Amino acid sequence: MNAYNSIQSKAPAREWSRYRFPRDLFRFTALLACLLGLMFAIDFLGIDLARLLTLFGRVGEVLSERYFPPDVDYVMQGDYLASVVETVQMAYLGALIGMLIAAPLAWFASWNVTLSRRVLYPLARLFIMASRSVHEMIWTILFVTVLGFGMLPGVCALVMFCIGFAGKLFAEEIEVIDMGPVEAMRSAGANPLQTFCYAVWPQIQTAWTGIAIYTWDVAFRAATVVGFFGAGGMGWYLKRNVQQLETERVAAILLSIVVLVVISELISAWARHRLNRKRDANRIAIEAEAA
Amino acid sequence: MTHLVSLQAELERSRRRRQWVQLLMLALVLVTVLGSIQVIIIEDTDWDRVGSFGQIMESVGRFMALDLSLIPHLGIPMLETFLMACLGTLLGLFFSLPVAWFGALNVTPSKRILYPFGRFLMTLSRSIHEMVWALIFVAAVGLGALPGILAIAMRSVGFISKITAEAIENIDPKPVEAIRAVGGNNFQVMYYGILPQIKTVVLGTIIFEWDINIRRSAIMGLVGAGGLGLTFFRQMAMYNYGGVTVVILAILSLILLGEILSHYTRKAIV
Amino acid sequence: MSILQVQNLKARYAQTGDDILKGISFNVAEGDFYAIIGPSGAGKSTLIRCINRLVEPSEGSVSLFGQELTRLSARELRKTRRHIGMIFQEFNLVNRMSVMDNVLSGRLGYVGTTRSLFKLFPRSDIQRALELLDRVSLIDHVDKRADQLSGGQRQRVGIARALMQDPQLLLLDEPTASLDPKISRDVMQLIRDTARDLGIPVLCNIHDVALAKEFCNRILGLQSGRMMFDGKTADLADSDLERIYELEVL
Repeated sequence: MNAYNSIQSKAPAREWSRYRFPRDLFRFTALLACLLGLMFAIDFLGIDLARLLTLFGRVGEVLSERYFPPDVDYVMQGDYLASVVETVQMAYLGALIGMLIAAPLAWFASWNVTLSRRVLYPLARLFIMASRSVHEMIWTILFVTVLGFGMLPGVCALVMFCIGFAGKLFAEEIEVIDMGPVEAMRSAGANPLQTFCYAVWPQIQTAWTGIAIYTWDVAFRAATVVGFFGAGGMGWYLKRNVQQLETERVAAILLSIVVLVVISELISAWARHRLNRKRDANRIAIEAEAA
Repeated sequence: MTHLVSLQAELERSRRRRQWVQLLMLALVLVTVLGSIQVIIIEDTDWDRVGSFGQIMESVGRFMALDLSLIPHLGIPMLETFLMACLGTLLGLFFSLPVAWFGALNVTPSKRILYPFGRFLMTLSRSIHEMVWALIFVAAVGLGALPGILAIAMRSVGFISKITAEAIENIDPKPVEAIRAVGGNNFQVMYYGILPQIKTVVLGTIIFEWDINIRRSAIMGLVGAGGLGLTFFRQMAMYNYGGVTVVILAILSLILLGEILSHYTRKAIV
Repeated sequence: MSILQVQNLKARYAQTGDDILKGISFNVAEGDFYAIIGPSGAGKSTLIRCINRLVEPSEGSVSLFGQELTRLSARELRKTRRHIGMIFQEFNLVNRMSVMDNVLSGRLGYVGTTRSLFKLFPRSDIQRALELLDRVSLIDHVDKRADQLSGGQRQRVGIARALMQDPQLLLLDEPTASLDPKISRDVMQLIRDTARDLGIPVLCNIHDVALAKEFCNRILGLQSGRMMFDGKTADLADSDLERIYELEVL
């Protein structure tokens, strides 16, 4: 007795198809267009697919022949270690100054407590957006052109970068506060600065601390490479050795960068964990990706 | 009564201690900042090179004389940058899938080895600056768009796979149980039980990442990976500052285009 | 003729090592609608999941048509699961998929990996799915997403999916616990009538004793992983119920 055939349907069986006429025609056309676009892209960029297949073998080969073993002694000498300290200082200054500028900007750029919605709000928004949109490497190059080689343009580039990064997050945090205390302060006759300090600040303190830790993180990551365009720190050594084809030293420097950044990530992850604001941490992590 | 007094004294003491700690922290920050400023800015900078405020303004002014003759030559590099971002994101997605599979606690093939390995890859990918990735790949495969694409892909893996792994960990396990109960194999369990649940999250993440990758793609040329970055680099090498500004404006318009596109695609999907 | 034989079945928590089932034995015969009743935490869900090994039993035997299930390889197990339909308390549908795809997913054990990748189900499967959807009166909702349906409708999709498997045994895990009383009876009736039409025995895990008495011909009473009663519904006395539920009465 096969159950499969034993059901007698009362209604005549209907036809059913997964595909609907106009909708799926569009879908398949779009899919086809994407595929053609992909082929065009591969052709346009001159990518040799056959090369791509053997790529990882060759990457491994090149790395093992020319970049191995990393010249660890090189990154252990005093000059280089001093540049590591400089990089940390650069990131520290850049993040700190950047956040000091970002804080009032964020205040002006949050719709609910801004001092003037007509003038300051759009200006602050524009400034934050502009510093976000330009990549930190381009900031570095621009500052190096104007100010010459050295750590100063690096710090300036990091400041711009941090204004964009922290400014947006700071402002978003202000915009979701509870407006009750603000109104209470205002009705008690407090001036805007007093309102900010007593009604807004207590509500955003923890969140801003978390953002500050993140800002340090991304600033350090950027600081390790700004030197590549002449702005001092470890990146400067990277640049020099890349140009001189000192591949084993390059390998050592890259390795040291990776190790330092991962260590800094671990420390900041630990600090954020202690702050323990998971919801914010997740949201900010998404933002940090945009940095 | 005496009890209350001693309590008050205790409170006072702890308050004072806290103030001391705060003061100490402030002093520490101040000292390190001043020290850093001294070392990094005052001592390191060649102030003759920087020149007076007027001179700085003058060199900034040189950027303001836009070189509009460059515009016709921007089309191809812009397209290159755009396509590099697309292919990089796609390749990043391709690499992300196994990483997300390893790094999601509820589906990982091995909790001891592959799970921590997947998590490690996620951190590694995100901690390394895209510039560093680009340098690594330029060194390994030579100049051209390919190292740029690979760098973008590697940099994207961390974020895409992290969000995907989190989405997998948060799925409703009940449909998965049902697919197993009808006799589905591992692939079918993933394809019918897990994929429909994470599809929108993953698509949204890819669009988000693609948007960011346009920004990254625009600087890949600085280390020899083609696109607008290369044009930027050439203008810089020719000291054509007006052209540099035009390239930056081109980058900004490309980023704006990406943002508009991603806004609408995301709306269409979610 | 006995279709499913369970002997001395034991199961324990992986973490604590505590026993959930302490030696259960029963037989499901052709035409049976077998109810498992008991207070919550008695091990009902575990027992039903031990049959198709969604939970691995630690000891004992489960045999379906004379085939021992506890020692099957992963591949053989999947083949056997195809013939065991399961209906769940919370329906366990894939919410973001259409009703049709949810029903068709009942055939996954039969179609190959490549076919399932492109959702290319044989024409006969689609025809069968339409018939079943008609039978559970959801023919007008074929292309809706599963999360657009009401609870009762979703459970009927779950029933259609289980029947899609062409099952030789139906496992029901609290099929009515998430539904209101009126719809619960409709769903039970639908399952009983369908199972009777198709000649499929049913093993049903249910906390509502009234429903069990109304629809089931045999009852197994479970308490703290022990069998307190096993027999015809007619033989279930109030004293038996008291023994089964004695821990729950506070």
